[in-house]
Amino acid sequence: MDVKDTVMLEIFRYHPETDSEPRFQSYEVPYNEDWVVLDAINWIKDHVDGSLTHRWSCRMGVCGSCGMMVNGEPKLTCAAFLKDYYPFGIKVEPLVNFAVERDLVVDMDGFMDKLQEVKPYIIRDDVNDTSEGEYRQSPAQLAQYKQYSMCINCMLCYAACPVAGHEDEFLGPAALALGHRYNKDSRDQGQAERLDVMLAGEAIWGCTFVGECTVVCPKHVDPAGAIQQAKAMAAQEYFKGFVMPKGTGVSKGADG
Amino acid sequence: MSGQYHRSHRWAWFFERPGYLLFMVRELTCFFVGGYLVVLLVTLGKLAGGGETALVEWLASVSGPWWLTAHLVALVAAVWHTVTWFGAVPQAMPIYLGENRLPAPIAAIVMGYGPWLTVTAVILWWVLR
Ligand code: FES
Repeated sequence: MDVKDTVMLEIFRYHPETDSEPRFQSYEVPYNEDWVVLDAINWIKDHVDGSLTHRWSCRMGVCGSCGMMVNGEPKLTCAAFLKDYYPFGIKVEPLVNFAVERDLVVDMDGFMDKLQEVKPYIIRDDVNDTSEGEYRQSPAQLAQYKQYSMCINCMLCYAACPVAGHEDEFLGPAALALGHRYNKDSRDQGQAERLDVMLAGEAIWGCTFVGECTVVCPKHVDPAGAIQQAKAMAAQEYFKGFVMPKGTGVSKGADG
Repeated sequence: MSGQYHRSHRWAWFFERPGYLLFMVRELTCFFVGGYLVVLLVTLGKLAGGGETALVEWLASVSGPWWLTAHLVALVAAVWHTVTWFGAVPQAMPIYLGENRLPAPIAAIVMGYGPWLTVTAVILWWVLR
């Protein structure tokens, strides 16, 4: 590899205190075959422009904080190799469908609220005493939801979802997949509570099964599949609500 | 929070990714399938109406190269819709055998293509016997 080779990065810049509109700034970065786009951005920040703002942490596709648009495609920048773009330039932008805080950093608050809305934790009507040991689960029961538990909250799926960009009420791929993950967990008893949330307005029905969330997911969670399954579950609950007395159907509370 | 930059809505979003375009094509197939159903319903109406002349006249009015083309387009649209639908079924209705999930191509055959071909064969047999 020739270390004198370089690659051009065109980066979205926006500093709210000085810019009323974003602009693009070009940087020439040394080309290194085993570098990822995140390495190039870090190199710019360390050597050229310390004011460039971006999020990252693990550099190994685990923390989910380095998601950006790379040539228009939602990507974990720590998993996007320069060699896959070289010798062409690379355009880096903050994830679409989110408001931009600064440069490549987006506002995650709405996403965090949506995650909380689906109650992503095990809900029990009857809590066992710790002396009774853990709630046991068979490998077959684990298989029912394991795929949906692999989400790293990188929000690439929201950037790939045309509905998430247009419909605020829609909970979005990651949040719905996470809700479904708990609904499918044999130890959980909070399905009715979660389905109440999902059935409201466009929360789940906003999804038209475009399916691109699944295409871009770096962890193969398949949010699109989870959402269709959750829709079927929600529809069943909804119709059960007509035939069953209140308290056993959709609106089942913590104590039934 | 103030100072944030909000990017504008993209009206032509369906051109941005091949997946979006394929999605729109799948959605638009409904017009062709719907159009075909209208023709079929009118035909059934004429048939049920009893008058053989009315049916023959109607059938004559919907033949010819343009109508044939329209029917072919509707057929392609219906097949495309069916194929994409069967492709999506394993995602929406996973089948587990113990710890293992039935692979998508097999699930598509079990839940989609298999029953489809079976029903088609039964109808063909019933019509042609
Ligand atoms: S830096 Fe952690 S996922 Fe990329």
